[in-house]
Amino acid sequence: MTPRTSTGTAPAGAPSRRSFLASTAVAAVAVSGGASLLTACGSPGGGKDGTTSGKDAKKVLPTFMARTIVAPDIPSEHGSSLGFHKALSSDQLKSAVPEKLGKGQKITVMSPYWGSPPKQDNPYYKAANEAIGVDITWQNQDGMHYDEKLGAVLASSRIPDVVVIPGWNMGGKIPSAIINKFADLGPYLSGDKVKKYPNLAAIPTDAWQRAIFGGKLRGLPMPASYVPNIVPYYRSDLFEEKGYEVPTSPQEFLDLAKEITHAKAKVWGCGDMKWTSFNVFGVFSGEEKALGWNMVDGKLLYRIEQEEYLEALEWARKLYAAGVVHPDAKAQQGDDATRFTAGQVLMYNDDISHWYGKTAEQLPQNPKFTMSGMDIFGPDGGKPVLYAKQPAGIFAFVSKNADKSAIEAALAAANFTASPYGTKEYMLTNYGVEGTHYDIKNGLPVKNDKGNNEVNNAYVMLASPASTLAHPDLPQITRDQVAWQQRHGALTRKTSFYGLQVTEPAKYTNLSNDMEGMEDEVVRGRKSIADMQQFISTWRSKGGDQLRDWYKKLLDDAGSAANR
Amino acid sequence: MTTTYRAPKMPTSMQRPGPPAAHNRPAWEEPPTKVGLASKGVVLGFAMLAILFPLWIVIVTSLSSKETITKAGGLVLIPREITFVAYRELLSGGQVSRATLVSLGVTLVGTLFSVTVSVLCAYGLSRSGSLWHRGILMTLLTTMFFTAGLIPTYLLVQSLGLTDTYLALILPSAVSVFNILVLRAFFMNVSQEIVDSARIDGAGDWRILWQIVLPLSRAVVAVIALFYAVGYWSAWFNASLYLNDHDMLPLQNVMIQVVQRQEPPTGLGQAVKAGPLSPLAVQMAVMVLAMLPVTVLSPFVQKHFKKGMLTGAVKG
Amino acid sequence: MKTAAARPSAGEDSAPGAEPPAPGADTAPPARIGRWAMFRLRLRRDGTRLWMTLPALLLVVVFAYVPILGNLVAFEEYDPYASDNGVVAMFHSAWVGLEQFTRIFEDPAFWDALQNTLVLFVLQLVLFFPIPIALALLINSFVRPRVRAVAQAVLYLPHFFSWVLVITVFQQIFGGAGIIAQILRQNGIEGFDLMTDPGLFKFLVTAEGVWKDAGWGIIVFLAALASVSPDLYEAAAVDGANRWRRMWHVTLPALRPVIALLLVLRVGDALTVGFEQILLQRDAVGPGASEVLDTYVWWNGIRNQDFSFAAAAGLVKGLVGITLVLIANKMAHLLGEQGVYRK
Repeated sequence: MTPRTSTGTAPAGAPSRRSFLASTAVAAVAVSGGASLLTACGSPGGGKDGTTSGKDAKKVLPTFMARTIVAPDIPSEHGSSLGFHKALSSDQLKSAVPEKLGKGQKITVMSPYWGSPPKQDNPYYKAANEAIGVDITWQNQDGMHYDEKLGAVLASSRIPDVVVIPGWNMGGKIPSAIINKFADLGPYLSGDKVKKYPNLAAIPTDAWQRAIFGGKLRGLPMPASYVPNIVPYYRSDLFEEKGYEVPTSPQEFLDLAKEITHAKAKVWGCGDMKWTSFNVFGVFSGEEKALGWNMVDGKLLYRIEQEEYLEALEWARKLYAAGVVHPDAKAQQGDDATRFTAGQVLMYNDDISHWYGKTAEQLPQNPKFTMSGMDIFGPDGGKPVLYAKQPAGIFAFVSKNADKSAIEAALAAANFTASPYGTKEYMLTNYGVEGTHYDIKNGLPVKNDKGNNEVNNAYVMLASPASTLAHPDLPQITRDQVAWQQRHGALTRKTSFYGLQVTEPAKYTNLSNDMEGMEDEVVRGRKSIADMQQFISTWRSKGGDQLRDWYKKLLDDAGSAANR
Repeated sequence: MTTTYRAPKMPTSMQRPGPPAAHNRPAWEEPPTKVGLASKGVVLGFAMLAILFPLWIVIVTSLSSKETITKAGGLVLIPREITFVAYRELLSGGQVSRATLVSLGVTLVGTLFSVTVSVLCAYGLSRSGSLWHRGILMTLLTTMFFTAGLIPTYLLVQSLGLTDTYLALILPSAVSVFNILVLRAFFMNVSQEIVDSARIDGAGDWRILWQIVLPLSRAVVAVIALFYAVGYWSAWFNASLYLNDHDMLPLQNVMIQVVQRQEPPTGLGQAVKAGPLSPLAVQMAVMVLAMLPVTVLSPFVQKHFKKGMLTGAVKG
Repeated sequence: MKTAAARPSAGEDSAPGAEPPAPGADTAPPARIGRWAMFRLRLRRDGTRLWMTLPALLLVVVFAYVPILGNLVAFEEYDPYASDNGVVAMFHSAWVGLEQFTRIFEDPAFWDALQNTLVLFVLQLVLFFPIPIALALLINSFVRPRVRAVAQAVLYLPHFFSWVLVITVFQQIFGGAGIIAQILRQNGIEGFDLMTDPGLFKFLVTAEGVWKDAGWGIIVFLAALASVSPDLYEAAAVDGANRWRRMWHVTLPALRPVIALLLVLRVGDALTVGFEQILLQRDAVGPGASEVLDTYVWWNGIRNQDFSFAAAAGLVKGLVGITLVLIANKMAHLLGEQGVYRK
């Protein structure tokens, strides 16, 4: 769960009613921090709600075959990503797809795209199609407004051969669409059949498990690390300059934030820390509804019923009450990250990818810029208890109307894009063609303008290798990131429905609608903890208790993936 | 029939050579009082300032480097340098020139089509005694209050074979009932005596519309044309919905997506790198470019706003 | 004052004269003409005009009415993905009668949203609606063409700002770390933050709306002002009317039909008070102060792809809108105005 999946703007002009609706995706992300859009993925078992795990899952899952083409500089441990921080020269690149699997088929792929899509016949698409052996026509859709497009296209009977759906676009009835409109890839991938596609076979089973929708293997996953992704960052450069100590307990954090805050100088202690607070106090993951349920002393508990949940809110609330949170964060306007790089807040929390992203962005203009992730502390200092997030978030699906040859073409393409770091295929997928899209400077591949324009998020959306952090340009950041993941991965537990696609019955869809809004009201001091308790007891009587029974039954019938 | 009807002659007051110097106050109008002029000036000045100050911020930010924007932590008040990188980013790239042509074409054809259809309809409804006139009005009016869902609309456009054609950017949004009602209100305001005398002389509806009503309604037709043109130019949702082939996208969509490129969603891991520019600068540049067309078109519309241009419209 | 009667009564029927044989619609048909003959007479008289409405009518029927039929899902539990396509799915989804409507009406949050909507509507009507008219009159009163041209061009611009940007700009000026707050802070006054104050939220929203769209709103009124004959002003001036009297007796009557039309339509749209703008600021003040009908429907329906709920809410809103517009129109008639259509 990222506090802010993305931001954007609605375009100018006379907003008609329709354009209002269109821009709701933007608004939603801005308003809810993307969280609510990430809810309710899941898969009805055989057309009904539920999930697939245990023996049933084993039948459809591909056989895992580890494949180490280039040994990572830092191996995965405690669920971390693989770390690569050494650059490889062109002649060191291996091949992960020695022979083309494509047979010249033509397929169309619809996928969200952030950026202005290049022309269809650009050198990157041409080169990649040529290498894969499949003539892929891309339908690169506006990523910010993909919700509407996807909802409409899936309701029609003409669906592109391949459709990419990120987890945050799987709200509402999209899981039902996935089950009804997309092909079962089991006949091509289950068990040993996957051996035909060695790079797909090397995708971790956790990620494949997430690709089971409605009892069938339907998705091609983009694996992710299950270690909580929200890092509390601090400006290590400014900390050093002012002599601030990195806090190791909630109280120290609050005291430090107070010390940092000088509103007259436009400096505040921190941004909104709600998501870190949940991690500090050991609240079950809020990434997905199903992840928030966990067996505690023989009883299934939802995250909002935990004592820790209220404690977490209380601490986040203290920060606001002390006036150490930037006022724009209180109004949920703008972007905490921007204020962080500007030095207006010295601590904030965000997705782990920003560690590299913000540093790479700031270094050219501010060589002294450094940011670090602090270790998440427990409620009284010490070690926290953390809960895993889902091990895969973005999936590509093949239309059920696609014939055998089109399905094989899609799998050939996915097998190509899932090639690991250190291979020619990885470079082509992520950087394009050497000399055309990137050049080697000081031993590092650097994209040129053409590369920046053409090599964006097209082929990378199809299927990816095991979660990888590879930043040879900033080796120390790569080490820090992976080390942070490993330290926190060691403290991470899995809740009962970890790794499963769960679809709640439709009647519970709206049950938790107001929860996030309520949290935000409480931490900002407009509502009290008592109001929250009232809300929770209403939640129980309005269906929460029934939902608990439903999940209990699911657990009894299916068993959890974590105990597999 | 030989008589042709023209708009009544300009009233004498307009034909007089204008008073000297910068103003053209008619002779009968008393010169403004100092207090009156001053207070009007203050009000207008305040309104302009309330607009120009934020506009300044927007323009300055669009011309700032990522570094300046980072230092400011958001919108920039005081420029530190002027750089056109954001504009270059928006206007370079192979897609922009083609997308501009698409936008111009759709705007031009769409506006012509919409204005024609709307003027015809408004005139057709401008006589309240007409057959079925109330029924048709109610039919139009109802659509202002009931909106269709996204999915049925998409399925309709698809089943008409309009997806991946530019007609999908024009037909579904071609008629604005609001615009028709405004046109109609103005048409009904045209002096009935002129219309009636024309009718007695045997002029048909086409001729009345073309030779009497339209010349007397130039201002409102210009306004409605502007409304439609602005609508077509700034529309992007229909394109993102109905065009699958991204090589067909109009300018607005291309620009929106350039903004997104500066700030790809997290969760893609390292798959996507942030662009080299400040998303804010690009966003502001999009905003500035969005204001251009109306700034260009505004004088053409205002031409029709001259006082008393359309005399005879109100019965004296 | 003679010109006071200058209110147009144009275009109304029962002003026969035009085509002598055809009686006006409101005139009782002479007994000797049968209904059918009567109809044919009117058809001959109005045929051309009916043809003229045809293109627009056709477009509206195809692109508005046909998809509006999709709102029938308000009486279902609709899953557009359950069948081969969304239309087929309509026939396969379970009918639930009025259940969606009950859900709406039994939800206290709906009534809160409705209340916020109405309060905001009244605020906008009182504080926003007159401003474009006043601005148009102001601009029109300047005689120098250049002042008018520049003023107009500038006043239009904010309309082209997106809501995200408008709110960002407001935040930078009126927010807790904004320009005003920082100036006050330097002078020892803490705690200024208009953007997170639930009590002021509705005024804030109205002010943002005025800033963004009041300038654009003047354009129709300017067109109306262009149609006032200077002869009328001259006559009034000759009669000794001063500036204010001329505005009251010449200018305003010329604007009245347009004002009446826009007012009637605005009243009909009373339940629409802004969507994106409010959604973007919802979390700054909380739903208690900010939830309006459209955001409520989005939050509880569209966001979760609860199409049936959204359609039901849309139908309710449409019915209220039509009712309001008819009432407003009736009131316009009572005040002697055209409104949208003549009774």
